[in-house]
Amino acid sequence: MGVEYKVNRLRATGNIRPLVDKHWGDLRAAKERGEKVAWASGPSFMFPYSMGMKCHFMAGYASYAGGIGAADELLRLAETTGDLPETCSYHRLHMGLVEAIKKGVPIKEQAILPLPDLLIAGRYCTEQSHYSESFYRRMGLRIAPLELPFVFNKEDRPRIREFVYRQIVENVIPNLEDVCEKPFDYDRLSEILSVLKKTATLRNECWKFLATKPATWTLWDYAVSMAPVIYMMGDPAGIPFYEDLLKELQERHEKGIPALAPEGEKYRIYWDGWIPWAFLGKFMRKFTPHGAVCLCGRYPWEMFPHPELIDPEHPLDTVVDWVYGEETGLACHMAPKGSIELIGELIEKYSIDGLVMFSSKSCRMWNQSHLDQIDSLDKKYGIPGVVIEADMIDPEMVQDSQIDTRLQALFETIDGRRRR
Amino acid sequence: MEKALSKIVEVTSDPYAYVAGLKDRTQKKIIGCFPMYVPEEIVHAAGLIPVVIWRGNESVTWGHAHVPAYDCGITRSFVDDAVRGKLSFMDGMVFHVRQCLQVGEFPLIMERNVKPAYQKILYLPPIYKGDSIKSFLLGDLESFKGSLEDFTGKKISDDNLKESIEIYNENRSLLERVYEIRREKPEILRAREVMQIVWSSMLMPKEDHNELLRELINGMEKKSVEPKKDRIKVIPVGCLCQTLQFDILDIIEDLGMIIPDDDLYVGSRYFANKVKLNGDPIEALADRYLVKTPLCPTKGVWDVDWGVEVIKQMKENDAKGIISIRVKYCPPHTCYYPDFKSKMVEEGVPEVMIEMEHEIISLEGVKTRLQSFVETIGGV
Repeated sequence: MGVEYKVNRLRATGNIRPLVDKHWGDLRAAKERGEKVAWASGPSFMFPYSMGMKCHFMAGYASYAGGIGAADELLRLAETTGDLPETCSYHRLHMGLVEAIKKGVPIKEQAILPLPDLLIAGRYCTEQSHYSESFYRRMGLRIAPLELPFVFNKEDRPRIREFVYRQIVENVIPNLEDVCEKPFDYDRLSEILSVLKKTATLRNECWKFLATKPATWTLWDYAVSMAPVIYMMGDPAGIPFYEDLLKELQERHEKGIPALAPEGEKYRIYWDGWIPWAFLGKFMRKFTPHGAVCLCGRYPWEMFPHPELIDPEHPLDTVVDWVYGEETGLACHMAPKGSIELIGELIEKYSIDGLVMFSSKSCRMWNQSHLDQIDSLDKKYGIPGVVIEADMIDPEMVQDSQIDTRLQALFETIDGRRRR
Repeated sequence: MEKALSKIVEVTSDPYAYVAGLKDRTQKKIIGCFPMYVPEEIVHAAGLIPVVIWRGNESVTWGHAHVPAYDCGITRSFVDDAVRGKLSFMDGMVFHVRQCLQVGEFPLIMERNVKPAYQKILYLPPIYKGDSIKSFLLGDLESFKGSLEDFTGKKISDDNLKESIEIYNENRSLLERVYEIRREKPEILRAREVMQIVWSSMLMPKEDHNELLRELINGMEKKSVEPKKDRIKVIPVGCLCQTLQFDILDIIEDLGMIIPDDDLYVGSRYFANKVKLNGDPIEALADRYLVKTPLCPTKGVWDVDWGVEVIKQMKENDAKGIISIRVKYCPPHTCYYPDFKSKMVEEGVPEVMIEMEHEIISLEGVKTRLQSFVETIGGV
């Protein structure tokens, strides 16, 4: 008889839902309160927050819509008005939302957002510019664009950093000042970063319990807990959330309670790419019966992985260096070559047995050179990997048999290597 | 004219053999420039031969060990060609990684599997407002120039650059003239021949191509053509980065339509806008890149409407409809298309979209769509 694995659910992560509901609820009601609203893509939402605006975050909204089960109706709505099914599902989701707002199509109330006074179009992924351009053409929304290139060669990083910094000063901040009719509030940005620093420091303490053997919690638990270190940045409510989570993890660890019952995991997995927001339960059910837990990944590690580098005294530099800093700039890890370095560090730190590269059929942001990444990492660390093809939120692009077969192959390969 | 055309057909029928032969013949290094915006003039000024990378005509095999089936045709075909060693004549490769996400696939794959002697990443920015955009673009072009100098061990002077720009501008003027004659006498060339003429410009040294074009234009100017009045003029649009399957162009013509002009990448887009040389040549190249038209959905332009531009082009050519050629899995075109379509509907312009895959599944399906389209506009 094989071992029957089950997830030991955490209590503390259950506290996140009211926090994110409140965040999006506040945004929904902002216009009624006479507040200014922004929408943002890429790492740019902290600028409207600094001006006291309520702000949407493209990927954050997609994760929320996926989590509350609103994604499918918005995706189909976009398609009925001309968007093509192969278009980025985050793009389609927002086009569906705009169509619902424009035409008064009834959708899940929690998914409705007010149209923004300003759209900060961070072009981290090149497709994010297509989305903002569509908003301009369809709704005439005001846009402050911000080009945010991935860094393919480290020697290019300094000039790209300077370029991004200049764009923020030259374009993003003046647009915000114009919309809000007041000077940019650097002090508020510093306060936001101070809160973030505390939250992310606590979060990093929690990460230590992903490295324990057996693991004390899983990547999926962390994925649902990410909002306080990303789009809820600066909200003090994130601090007690992570304090409570850390306490529970410490207690679990002391009592020897692993993430997977009865005795912990058989396979420790690295997860690359987006989190499949609308299908978290489905994916958990694909890993758990095999005794596999996902523990780390590039995308979830984007959210200020080095809180010690957050310097509220130098807020703008901190924000730019988050993405383009010399030692830890995320943009270097977005390009396939740089990612190999980061994934290698995660493999060692979290004692990884296998790699699962989640390849989104509609968004290629994390997909670049996945197969060569696997080959390179396998050669260096002796860790096998597979690519699974699906989508973050579009159920039409998720096929169980393909995913099941590839995961099965991965686990068999790990077993085979262990027997050598 | 026939001799020039026959050379053009020869070059484009087997670009691999042609470029490999070119390298042998000239003893110059070949630099593959991934479409669409690598400034070839800088490569030319370095004494190298720039060649625009193309989509092959074979099914993807080994390439699928590196890129997914849901990347576009040229991405998959280029990777397939490269890892199978079919592009071993290329000494270097240049990729503009901010054009679309799929271009970002290449650097690591090439570095690990193909190992070109020279590889350069360009970050050419979208055309946003602000001095930082042009300043960064200039830095990118200077860095490109510097990397080529390091590769060849020779400085590229302003005079070298100006000379190359003039040769490229002449090529643009000559291609414009070919298009002018086609507008006057649309029956003078088959649409596939026009595409081959532009494609050959991407493959041949511009000096050779200019010579060929002069001969071709001379013949075209002299040749009289009996206009066929029942032909319905249409404008094909799109097909970014890659050549269109010639069969589709043939179907368009066989169904009684005729193409007086186009808005295709391997078409009028390639030679649009000359470099205005009135000072620093790098700055002049940057200025050409920053021109917003013909509108390209990869360049981040939102204050010019592609649909409006194409309708203007259609009217100037007295055409009756638009045929959008959308490459399957081309996100820039795919994201723009719904708004383009809406503009066509709003303005009452007949338009049909043909989805083009690397491996064409059914030409019959394409024919049916085009047949319905021509019947519709025939009654307009």
